[in-house]
Amino acid sequence: MSEEFVRFCETSEIPSGAKKHAKINGTWVLVCNVKGRLLAVSAICSHQEKPLFTGRVRNCKISCPVHGARFDLETGEALDLPATKPIATYAVRVVGDWVEVKL
Amino acid sequence: MSEQMVEKSREPAPGDARYPGEPSTQEIIARDRVPAPDWVRSESYEFLGDEDISIDRYTDPEFAQKEFDNLWTRTWQFACREEIIPEVGDYYVYDIGRHSFIIARVAEDEVRAYYNACLHRGTMLRAPGTDGCANEFKCSFHGWTWNLDGSLKQALCDWDFPHVKAEQFALPEARVELLAGFVFINMDRNAPSLEEYLGAEFLSHISQWGLEDRYTYCHVSKSLPANWKLSMAAFMEAYHVLDTHPQVAPSNADANSQYDFYGEHVDRFISSLGVVSPHLKGQYTEQDIIDQFTLGDSSVAGDVPRKLGEGETARQRMADIIREAFETQSNTDLSGVSDSELLDCFSYTLFPNTFLFPGISLPMVYRFRPDPDNHRRTIYEVFFLRPVPKDGERPDPAETVYLNDDQSFTEAEGMDPGFGAILDQDTENLILQQAGLEASAKQGITLGNYQEIRIRHFEQAVDKYVEGAA
Repeated sequence: MSEEFVRFCETSEIPSGAKKHAKINGTWVLVCNVKGRLLAVSAICSHQEKPLFTGRVRNCKISCPVHGARFDLETGEALDLPATKPIATYAVRVVGDWVEVKL
Repeated sequence: MSEQMVEKSREPAPGDARYPGEPSTQEIIARDRVPAPDWVRSESYEFLGDEDISIDRYTDPEFAQKEFDNLWTRTWQFACREEIIPEVGDYYVYDIGRHSFIIARVAEDEVRAYYNACLHRGTMLRAPGTDGCANEFKCSFHGWTWNLDGSLKQALCDWDFPHVKAEQFALPEARVELLAGFVFINMDRNAPSLEEYLGAEFLSHISQWGLEDRYTYCHVSKSLPANWKLSMAAFMEAYHVLDTHPQVAPSNADANSQYDFYGEHVDRFISSLGVVSPHLKGQYTEQDIIDQFTLGDSSVAGDVPRKLGEGETARQRMADIIREAFETQSNTDLSGVSDSELLDCFSYTLFPNTFLFPGISLPMVYRFRPDPDNHRRTIYEVFFLRPVPKDGERPDPAETVYLNDDQSFTEAEGMDPGFGAILDQDTENLILQQAGLEASAKQGITLGNYQEIRIRHFEQAVDKYVEGAA
């Protein structure tokens, strides 16, 4: 795991209720703004490595649009089949106008 | 005429007797300051017989199988609230017995129920009990994919499946109807419409409740240790309040509650609150009654002072407290809402497995489903519904809280502790009742003609479906 936070995007790009995905050092990261709170997770489903980019976020959980697996955005825990393994979670912070993520 | 015959002629006909010397529910409600609407001020009871109800329906796995074959496949069932699938592509998986359905919003004003199984080799397209959003339904095994409208989008390596014709491989569907924010489904293509099934009288009631403008703020699921019908029956009468819920009886007109039914599939009770149980008459003051009043959601008005003034009644004061608290909470004008609707417990059963409580202070929905692996267990769910704030956005429906056998309902987030304790008391009875029925020398249960009419009405409908007569 990297020791450093890296810039992810400007804060204005992820208003409340929105999410954004980007590749950082070869890793797909998804940052979600849940009612003003930023949460960063792996953007790839642990089930069959499908992208979570367009997954629905509700009650701080994201559901995979492909097969329906669901993950807790705070812990990465897999909540529903067909996933049985968690996804990675990352530290996230705001510095000035920037959202930063630490892998 | 002999003395004996005169005496007999004075006895009420079966089902006509009521708690002697006590006001009826209608008489209690008639005294309220803000009068109740017609759907509250009506009665619809008939005597349906007094024979015992056979026990095998609760204990025999073959009876449960007949229910799966003949009842669950032919009745309208509450599958989910519309609020859980608000956007096109949103879906919820409803499971009943071995059956599973993807309830999907396929257009802004259209919801469909797809049988949840791939038409290739049968894998479920979505896991049981889940919800989410999809642009298509793709099987995780070999990738066969269906469009939101149920048409086949792709069979991988279609060169190997020349015998698969897209027009024959659309996802099979159950029927869907929407009512008051609820999605109902029925597997039977020949069943009556939902409107016909529930009847005009009930529809005139539900149309006045505005349940479509409520959201689920608490949803709890727990497996109960008893047959689903036994579990439901535990909630169909107020006769058990005195012994099972002694903390409630001082502020609940339990033995003078009102019982009604409408056609074959709907019944109800009205149980007045803020008045003492007839069993406890003279033992409690009006101040005692209001002090012991249990709210379904005490967070709304739990801290409001309850000291009564001279001549004030507990019932009127509690109605005023609830009116003011809910007006503040939901930013709505409830001045025209009757005291009875604010206070009382209105419990409706929609056959086979849903209870609606349209009251303001007891705003629940219950759903009971048989455990497909054990006819002695029930999947029980409680939904608490609050009015959607008038000046804010609709909150997301609450996440389901799953309780294990050892957990109290009071542990569920969002559950009022006082109400959770009531559900615990009901559950404790069920453990012993299921075991007792299997230990009993008597092969039937005996019911009161009036207070337990909903159980008889319900079991008669069960019999009709199980025997194939409905």
